[in-house]
Amino acid sequence: MALGRARLERPSRYLVDDRPLAEDEIEAEVAKLDAAIAAAREELSALRDKLHGTLAREVAEFIDAHSLMLADRELTSGISNLIRAGRYRASAALKMQRDRLVEMFDAMDDPYLRSRKEDVEHVIARVQAGLVRESSREERKIASRVGEILVADTIAPSELVPLAEHGVLGVVLGSGSQVSHGAILARSLHLPMIVAAHDALSSIQDDDLLLIDGEQGSIVVHPTAADLARYRAWQRDTIQQGKRLALLRDAETRTRDGVAIALYANAELPSDIAQARSYGAAGIGLYRTEFLFLQRPELPDEEEQFLVYRDLVLGMGGLPVTIRTLDLGADKADESGLAMDDEENPALGMRGVRLSLHRPQVLVTQLRAILRASAYGPVRILVPMITTADEMTRVREMLDDAARDLRTEGYEIADNFELGAMIEVPAAALVLRDMIRDLDFVAIGTNDLVQYTLAVDRNNDHLAYLYDPLHPAVVRLIAYIIVTARRAKRRVTLCGEIAGDRRYTALLLALGLTDFSMHPGALLEIRETVNSQDFAELRAQASDLLRVNSRERLAEWLGGFAPATTGTPADAN
Amino acid sequence: MLEKEITISNKLGLHARASAKLVQALHGFQSSAFLACRGKEVNAKSIMGVMMLAAGMGTPVTLRTDGPDEADAMQAMVDLFERKFDEES
Repeated sequence: MALGRARLERPSRYLVDDRPLAEDEIEAEVAKLDAAIAAAREELSALRDKLHGTLAREVAEFIDAHSLMLADRELTSGISNLIRAGRYRASAALKMQRDRLVEMFDAMDDPYLRSRKEDVEHVIARVQAGLVRESSREERKIASRVGEILVADTIAPSELVPLAEHGVLGVVLGSGSQVSHGAILARSLHLPMIVAAHDALSSIQDDDLLLIDGEQGSIVVHPTAADLARYRAWQRDTIQQGKRLALLRDAETRTRDGVAIALYANAELPSDIAQARSYGAAGIGLYRTEFLFLQRPELPDEEEQFLVYRDLVLGMGGLPVTIRTLDLGADKADESGLAMDDEENPALGMRGVRLSLHRPQVLVTQLRAILRASAYGPVRILVPMITTADEMTRVREMLDDAARDLRTEGYEIADNFELGAMIEVPAAALVLRDMIRDLDFVAIGTNDLVQYTLAVDRNNDHLAYLYDPLHPAVVRLIAYIIVTARRAKRRVTLCGEIAGDRRYTALLLALGLTDFSMHPGALLEIRETVNSQDFAELRAQASDLLRVNSRERLAEWLGGFAPATTGTPADAN
Repeated sequence: MLEKEITISNKLGLHARASAKLVQALHGFQSSAFLACRGKEVNAKSIMGVMMLAAGMGTPVTLRTDGPDEADAMQAMVDLFERKFDEES
């Protein structure tokens, strides 16, 4: 929600000076235009620098297009010709050029292309703003942004960042959609935004008091006392929740008796990475790479993958990032560029590392891209569906070869990178002691471990009652993996759903787990739960827990550790 | 001089971002490059020119390059059209 003064912005709101130029003013006016264009280009390039990282890739494309337009003589010389030949002032010449171009866009048949007259409008508006600034009115303009809700027909995504920085409280747009670039960026900036408020520009006046609710999509012009009371109540809740969250964001994750627990985030989308950072994750414990391969007919090449991994590593600012190699099977292959035969039973078929070893070029390309990203920060490589020690040996050889080749080719890569196995096949869990020497770290994938141990398809609704992480067989396997890894002094992270489910936190701590990886939305909740537990006390019960022979008795035991807090600090955005 | 016929196959057509990619792909080539459709020809190295061509999906377009590296410049353009400007989905 946001409460503020309306500030209407129309492209025509810039003052246009219609007085013709005198002969001796012409060159100065052209210089003014050039300076405004140069300033606009500089602004865009500064914005682009500020926006580096994964979040910004889509915005960067707009910025590139707008920069090129400003550099294009077909645009700029048209304007300076109007100044020279028509004796128009820069602002009037800009407006004429804009109107001329908009008219051409309006005549286009293709509806999407027609709507992109926005690009021209944004670019020209930016130069107009530069001209205004030339007359040193910028300070006033920025200062007056504080406490305002901007009402406009449309806005360039690239303009949102400076607006938020200048204190704009919210944005009401006459057009646009919830899934537009701008709306997505606004959410990540925590800037309330209303889109498609078609009559906003005609029914709202400058300086009207507005109350907007970005979640509900509602706008109240001239809020009543009741509206304001509702706003104050919301404000109180937000502040309270914010305080609690802020405490948890910066808090360490440490049990009552002082044992440090590492909470990592599972990630895939750029927004996961942003959230992981803001909730104080210890790093990325599981980065899924399947999305790079899905919904497209061709395979992603090394360069494309490298850029994604590099941005991920940069985005985490020096915290460790665990990248899992491709974990696809025949059930998903037809959505990707991997030609695979249909399988009767894809869950037990050619998937994970089996597919990677069957199609070594796919794995080599991915390993090379990951290794190149390792030059930018700590990277760990996680291999899914390991069943035998031999698979790990072959991946290690390919990784060493790839590293050697890259160094020969002159690429900068890290000196050390850890290679670990996702333990999700019961056979691998049972022989982990023999395999552990070849692993730098271990990750437990409980979602699949439960499915394979209990022989239950996790997508079969009728068997949902059997799919139970509290089955003593699963608990004992998890315990064995943790003990085996700890004895060999290897880090062991658990990254299934139960890592982010506070009902299981006490059990996992009791089994000796100190590294959890979960959906970033669960980080604060799990931190709160961990901080209320006593590690030594839980550990003392481990041997009893492993003798429990029914899931009911385990559930009963866990009930005794039920989190006492109320409400969920889960993601409010 | 080289000429090639092509049909625009990316969903959104030659909008600003796609046009920008075309201009960027041609950056550094000495040859001149042009796009023509519906009797209108524009400089393919000018983003404004390409945008104002208003070529949506399914529009047949003639690509033309002329100069010392005309083959490479043509290939760069054709590649980009074939990759559908790297648009998602």
